[in-house]
Amino acid sequence: MNEVSIFAASVVNPADLAATHLVRRLGQRFGRLDLQSQLALLAVESLELDFSGWARDRIGICLATGTGSLSTDVSFWQGWNGVGGPSPTLFAYTLPSAAIGEIAIHYKLTGPNLCFVGDDQIVLPEAFDLIRRGEADGCVCIFSEVVSVELAKIIPATPAASAWAIFLKRGDGLHKLREFDRDMKALCTLIFQIKSAV
Amino acid sequence: MQVSTHELKSKIIESLKLQDITPDQIDDDAPLFGTGLGLDSIDALELVVLLEKDYGIVIKDIEEGRPAFRSVKTLADFIAAKRPQ
Repeated sequence: MNEVSIFAASVVNPADLAATHLVRRLGQRFGRLDLQSQLALLAVESLELDFSGWARDRIGICLATGTGSLSTDVSFWQGWNGVGGPSPTLFAYTLPSAAIGEIAIHYKLTGPNLCFVGDDQIVLPEAFDLIRRGEADGCVCIFSEVVSVELAKIIPATPAASAWAIFLKRGDGLHKLREFDRDMKALCTLIFQIKSAV
Repeated sequence: MQVSTHELKSKIIESLKLQDITPDQIDDDAPLFGTGLGLDSIDALELVVLLEKDYGIVIKDIEEGRPAFRSVKTLADFIAAKRPQ
């Protein structure tokens, strides 16, 4: 069975952080995560996946982030202006891959993981390859984009915050992934259309 | 001057962004780390920053601070003893 399909898709933005029933499931420490990690984790939780029965070391995580950890980097840097210096907690999120760690810890996923700084076009082909090469049976794919107001003053970008998530695995799902399927945002929209039509 | 443990617990909740917990749910004598509130090493650093920001106390020697971080009660006592007048 060489087919790889999309089994679930989600998109979240900061307004969804008020969805208390989902956020509660993410634990007491969810509040200390930076916005990028919160959105990425909430997007994965919104997939409503049940990993029980899975070999957790056979599930990969692929994350692409539009601007890396730059928004958190700026917040951390600005913390030097205050008494006591910047937040040590924030320091832990000055890495683009921080969200992968949070997802891996929360769902106890120990499979291969990949982090890219760039657009949403690279995640699905890489995840597809992971599964096709037999390195994973499934893969949680995330694209997150966080540009804070402060960051937008420094780089040519518009303030934004959202995360998209897709779960890929072998077999027939909602949409069979093809080699040229790269656009995560468009595929999420397609999955929502398929699900609403069912 | 003694610090109200209720006020301190509120500051800890706010500083560490703890969710779904109120000051009344934290026992004054319960361990802050490991069991009890279950804080970790990053939280310890955040508490060090809290002491400096809110109470003007700078911990330069970790051995000095270690006993203070046992519980909310020991932390309140530490603040009362070290707070600049």
